[in-house]
Order: sequence, then C-alpha cells, then structure tokens
Amino acid sequence: MYVICPAFNEARTIAGVLAGLAGQGYEIVVVDDGSSDGTRRVAETMATTVISHPVNLGQGAALKTGIDYALSRGAEFIVTFDTDGQHRPSDIPRLLDALVRERADFALGSRFLGGAQRTPVLRRLLLRAATLFTAVTTGLRLTDTHNGLRAFTRRGAAALRLRQDRMAHASEILAEIARSRLRYVEVPVTIDYTEYSLAKGQRAGDFVMILLDLFAHKLRR
Amino acid sequence: MIAQALLSVLLGGVLVYAWAEYRRSPLVGALSIVAGLAGLYFVWMPSHSTLVAEFVGIGRGVDLILYLWVCISLTVMLNLHLKLRAQQETITKLARSIATANVVEAAHATAAAVTAEEAPQPGPPAAADAHTSRQMRGQSA
Repeated sequence: MYVICPAFNEARTIAGVLAGLAGQGYEIVVVDDGSSDGTRRVAETMATTVISHPVNLGQGAALKTGIDYALSRGAEFIVTFDTDGQHRPSDIPRLLDALVRERADFALGSRFLGGAQRTPVLRRLLLRAATLFTAVTTGLRLTDTHNGLRAFTRRGAAALRLRQDRMAHASEILAEIARSRLRYVEVPVTIDYTEYSLAKGQRAGDFVMILLDLFAHKLRR
Repeated sequence: MIAQALLSVLLGGVLVYAWAEYRRSPLVGALSIVAGLAGLYFVWMPSHSTLVAEFVGIGRGVDLILYLWVCISLTVMLNLHLKLRAQQETITKLARSIATANVVEAAHATAAAVTAEEAPQPGPPAAADAHTSRQMRGQSA
C-alpha cells in the first residue's frame, strides 16, 4: 500500500498531512518537486521515502515519478494524496474498500457525491465544465474530474501512460483510464478548502492552458 | 532597387537555411524553399503578386503576402511549441532518472517513532542510519 504525496513548496502543511497519514501501515512516498522552502527536510523526517526532483517539473510529473517508484517496489495498491491539506486520510480506506468491493482498478475521489460540501461557487462552475469536457472527450461519467485523491490497483497504475507534466495531468489520467477500459468507481470524499489550498489550487485561467496542452498532445501522437 | 537588393539577400539566407533544414525535416525544408522562392519572385515582380491577389479575391498583392505571412508565422509558432514540448519531455525523463537514482529512504526509524507515539504497536526495528541516501539500482550490501 503506497501513498504518493506530490509536494511543491508545502512546508506549511506537509508535516500535518504526513502526521495524519502515519501509523496506518502505509508506505508514504513524498515526491518533492524541486521545492525551495524546506518541504524536503520535513518530508525526510516523516515519510518512508522521499524522491526529489532536481528541478520543478509539475504535479503530473511528480505523480508519475511516485507511481513508477511504487510499481518498481512491487506496490499492489497506490493512492495519490495532495499535500496541501485538502484531503482526509480517513477517506483512503474507503477508496481501497471500493477497489476491492467493486473489483475496480481505479477509485476516484469525488467531492460532489454524497455529503453536501461547501465548494466555492466559481470553483464549482469550473469543475462542472471540466466534468462535461471529460464526458465529451473520454466518455467517462464522473461527478468530479479534478480530485487529487485517487487509488489504483497495480494493474490500473501500470496501464496509465502519463506524459503531461503540469496541470493537464488530471485530464490525462482520466483519458488513460478510459483508454485502458478497466473498471473505475467514484467514491465520495471530503475536501477541506482552506485559503491556503485554494490559493495553491488551479485558477480559472489555467483551464485555457490545460486545453492547449491537451491539444498539443493530440497533435504529436 | 535598394529594398529589392536587401530583400533578395534576406530571402537568399532563407533558402540557405531551408537547404540545411531539409536534411533534418524535409517538410519544413521544402516549405521554406517554396516560401523563399516565391518571396524572391514577388520581390522582383511586384505586379505579379497583385495579379495573383486579384485572382483569389484579395485587393492588393501586399495584402496577399501579409495574410500568407501571418499563416506562416502561426505555423512556425506551433512547430516551435511542439519542439519545446518534446524538449520538456526529455528534461522530465532526465530529472526523473536523477531523482530515482537518489531516493532517500527516510527510514522506518522515524516513522516508527511517530507511530509509537500515536498508537502503540510493534513497529519495525529502528534502523541505525535514518537518513541514508541509497541508490535504487546497482547497489550491493
């Protein structure tokens, strides 16, 4: 059971996040994406494994580095978990349960399934648009397409071919899930929005760049 | 006459570049040769560009060339963008292999210590050296 935590300049929050994950028997792999603020030092005292990109590559690249590492170590289950404090460690067992129970290879966290949550209005609209975009381009029917909390089986993780380093990786993971034709399931999870996580999160303008990235990607295939 | 001479020199440079580029990318090279030759032709026969422009429904020859130029530069930009992406992918692979060659096994020692504080349970024996940087591959002992 490997938990991959991509981290870029998260010194303020990462200690709390790693403390929350500790003691559950998880292999915690922090992928420090070229942070300059001591994230790595904190991670080295609290995580099982720390992999450091020599330069900042982007969250997508950090996830791939972590997933590749976990696969190379024989991981059976891989969870991706953001380090800005927006996810709850208590949601992880529910994702894993869903993988086993539904015989799925991908369990995707959704903030819109089940419990009513306070998602800021603009963010909710953007996420709705992203949901529609995903349905049109991949055929996946999801309620939340940009949730950093996910769980994969080994087979699922190995089927993902990830090449988007930066923001478009969330869409790319979904496209790859669709391409793999393996089973996926959505699981309700709770997102704790803080001023910090909102500031670190994506902005509306980023979506234009995401579309451009995905378009360029298509051209080169 | 001065402008024509200057433009001819520049377009001649384009042709030289196109010839060099042809080996790397025949498509880009061929397009550059066509653009360079067409440029040279119209520089010395300005009135012919107007004939072509009128034929395709654009008022002046200069306008025709302006429109073509916009199209060409957009194509060049797209091509550059794709090249940059390919380069970024190379950098990513490079950085990733450096990163995975220097994995820090931050050790179960501290993880176990944290675990022991929060919930008493038999943790793995504390490793002596907590912060050893290990090579993932090619290490022995």
